[in-house]
Amino acid sequence: MAKNLAGDLLVASANRLTDGVVVFLDDAGEWIQRLDRAAVARDKRAGEILLERAKAEAFTVVDPYLVAVSEDDDGVLEPLSLREKIRVSGLTFDAIAADAVRYA
Amino acid sequence: MPDTHFYRYDDYDRTLVAERVEQFRDQVRRRLSGELTEEQFKPLRLTNGLYLQLHAYMLRIAIPYGTLSSRQLRKLADIARKFDRGYGHFTTRQNLQLNWIKLEDAPDALAALAEVDMHAMQTSGNVIRNVTADHFAGAAIDEIEDPRIWCEIVRQWSTLHPEFSFLPRKFKIAITGSPNDRAAVRVHDIGLRLWRNETGEVGFEVIVGGGLGRTPMIGKTLREFLPKDELLAYLEATLRVYNRYGRRDNLYKARIKILVHEVGAEKMREEVEAEYADIKDGALKLPAETIEAIARQFAPPALPHRPAVVATVEALKLEDRDFALWLKSNVSAHRLAGYRIVTASLKPAGAPPGDASSVQMEGVADIADAYSQGEIRVSHEQNLVLPHVAVEDLPVVWLALGRLGFAEANVGKITDIIACPGLDYCALANARSIPVAQRISNHFARIGLQHDIGDLKIKISGCINACGHHHVGHIGILGVDKNGVELYQISLGGDVDFGKTALGTILGPAVTADKVVEAVDALVATYLDARGEGERFVDTYRRIGVKPFKDRVYAVV
Amino acid sequence: MPLFRESGIVEDPWQRLADDTPVPADGMVLVSFARWREARAALLARRGPIGVALANTDPVEALASDTSRLDLITLHFPKFSDGRAYSQARLLRERLGYQGELRATGNVLQDQAPFMLRCGFDAFESEQKGFGEALTRARTLFSVVYQPTEDGRGTASLLRLKHTSPVIRGRWPGGPEGESPSRSVRSD
Repeated sequence: MAKNLAGDLLVASANRLTDGVVVFLDDAGEWIQRLDRAAVARDKRAGEILLERAKAEAFTVVDPYLVAVSEDDDGVLEPLSLREKIRVSGLTFDAIAADAVRYA
Repeated sequence: MPDTHFYRYDDYDRTLVAERVEQFRDQVRRRLSGELTEEQFKPLRLTNGLYLQLHAYMLRIAIPYGTLSSRQLRKLADIARKFDRGYGHFTTRQNLQLNWIKLEDAPDALAALAEVDMHAMQTSGNVIRNVTADHFAGAAIDEIEDPRIWCEIVRQWSTLHPEFSFLPRKFKIAITGSPNDRAAVRVHDIGLRLWRNETGEVGFEVIVGGGLGRTPMIGKTLREFLPKDELLAYLEATLRVYNRYGRRDNLYKARIKILVHEVGAEKMREEVEAEYADIKDGALKLPAETIEAIARQFAPPALPHRPAVVATVEALKLEDRDFALWLKSNVSAHRLAGYRIVTASLKPAGAPPGDASSVQMEGVADIADAYSQGEIRVSHEQNLVLPHVAVEDLPVVWLALGRLGFAEANVGKITDIIACPGLDYCALANARSIPVAQRISNHFARIGLQHDIGDLKIKISGCINACGHHHVGHIGILGVDKNGVELYQISLGGDVDFGKTALGTILGPAVTADKVVEAVDALVATYLDARGEGERFVDTYRRIGVKPFKDRVYAVV
Repeated sequence: MPLFRESGIVEDPWQRLADDTPVPADGMVLVSFARWREARAALLARRGPIGVALANTDPVEALASDTSRLDLITLHFPKFSDGRAYSQARLLRERLGYQGELRATGNVLQDQAPFMLRCGFDAFESEQKGFGEALTRARTLFSVVYQPTEDGRGTASLLRLKHTSPVIRGRWPGGPEGESPSRSVRSD
């Protein structure tokens, strides 16, 4: 997981232990699903502290780590890497739904 | 349990599965309570098939030797519905993956599987994995002996093996019972090929150290002919040598293929044969009665005589071009003249390859009950197979599969793509593979065109781990990541037909996602322009070499 | 480090000898493999039981002629996921006929105990909370086994030849002790 952390904004992310759902650490130290509520570290040192905090709160999650994000003018956060974008937004195609049978 | 024509669990098998489920239930409880750390728990959940992917846990359900009863397939549909999002993905190792499982539900899902004698044991982790076979086993016209008998024998020997549960790395075994290797035995950690020697005895060729991934290698024959009853002793000897001497210092050098490569086939053979000599006459020697008891369960169904030539079928072939093309590509010869093997294509145009919804799975189970002795196979090309369809029933089966969306006449053709889940699902991937497969599939959707192009296997992997088997695709596509951009490296000329196992040659620099279709188009055009009489894509490539293809592709991308 | 046998926690009477400490004339001494190779004659000549601690890369074959003279062999798991000691254990028991105490050291955890027992370990050094209790149950966690090892348990295939039914000891969810499971697993 090589990351260029210099200059990036960082959030802490993990997968929830019980169900594998992608979660982020918020300012209160809770793991939440919404990226826009995540605690943001704005430099490398803050990132290290954030990661320490995430690891201290890791009882209900698996393997927390830092994700580099960007912030637009409206404050909306988006991950920088394609992997993390997909992790947040889900599949990039339509999976078969339970009713996907085509009847002639 | 209704009659099946493959191994039926007895109380021993059921008990073992049930006990493993209860052990896992307790392990999950201890993980959720914090008694077990993730590091301690991870191998325990992996050896029950539970991976953590990008979005959720994934459960990889074992389908031993790719064989299912209709009852089992219905249960898989039910589990997908109850515990997942109503669909699953059939893999290149004949397993089924459910992508949205919750850890807290996993013990119940495994208990549900146990109700139909299924499990997810050892489908992941550094253990001996699901033993794969020829998906036409027991039905193919060129079969010497049904390899699934041996897959079952090896399955039992390898399940919860006390000595081999913490190997340096995963271990994959494949078995073929036919000279036309549909199980890709030369690119497995151990490949076994049944053959008949000059005295008429059937035994195994033992091939060790094949594999794809970071360092693709073709396996070396360690033993030309091994008597069948000594198989387990030979496997135990090989695994013991691997367990003792396989590298554990570097994750990427830990497979047995690296050990064989580093010490040499000769030395490897020496070590294995020495170990084997010590144990071959011991408790692992298989009594004839044990082999027969298992072999009997794979005895082919007593298929009633059905006519080989049926007027209505012949007529439909002439009237309906779609049916005729489907017969050509999706229907194969059976050992009995009045029957055929039907492949249900899980590659409808533009759909994620190898996926089936719960409704579709149930539909296939119904067709199998009515027209295929209640049996289904999973091919390692991510399709389903109905192994015993009477010629007379081909039209009704074609229509029924069509209603499910599984009658695309593209088996073995350019849109019968093998693709790993890729970056959409998988934490290991560098790039996505499913959208690439979808774009290629849509571009070449016209069936007539596909049949004109002929046999062409495209295999796509989203990373170097090669779960899409790209090294052995006629066209192989490997997703790579360069500075956060998805790029695709194309290779040509890979193959896994026995005697012609070959790894593809890289074409040139990787191309961007939006250029992949154009590149494939250029490859196909090169072939169509240059092909000789009866030449498939890969034959033309072998004749004219990579340069004409390379020139044409890089002129457009 | 607590030492366990299946019966429970036990005192460790063995004295670990550092490689540069002189060998005492008697007493139960456990030496490293390197020390064993260097001072084998002297160790065998003295009174008192001898133990050898192997690393999981040491060749068990080197002990072939001496297994009847050793009372303790320790095998090491540097990480629980490094499974080399399982092969060492089986070779010592099954090929070299070793009958003394075979002790697992290192990262020894309860979930691996059933495998370790089947491979011939009979003593375990573990710091894991609850290990001792789990060990007492480990041998019967699985009432069916497929592979033959030195533990002498009847494998499924052997028992099938004898037409014996499996006896289940209370493993069945909701089932009474010892009842044979012809019904399938319920998911509650």
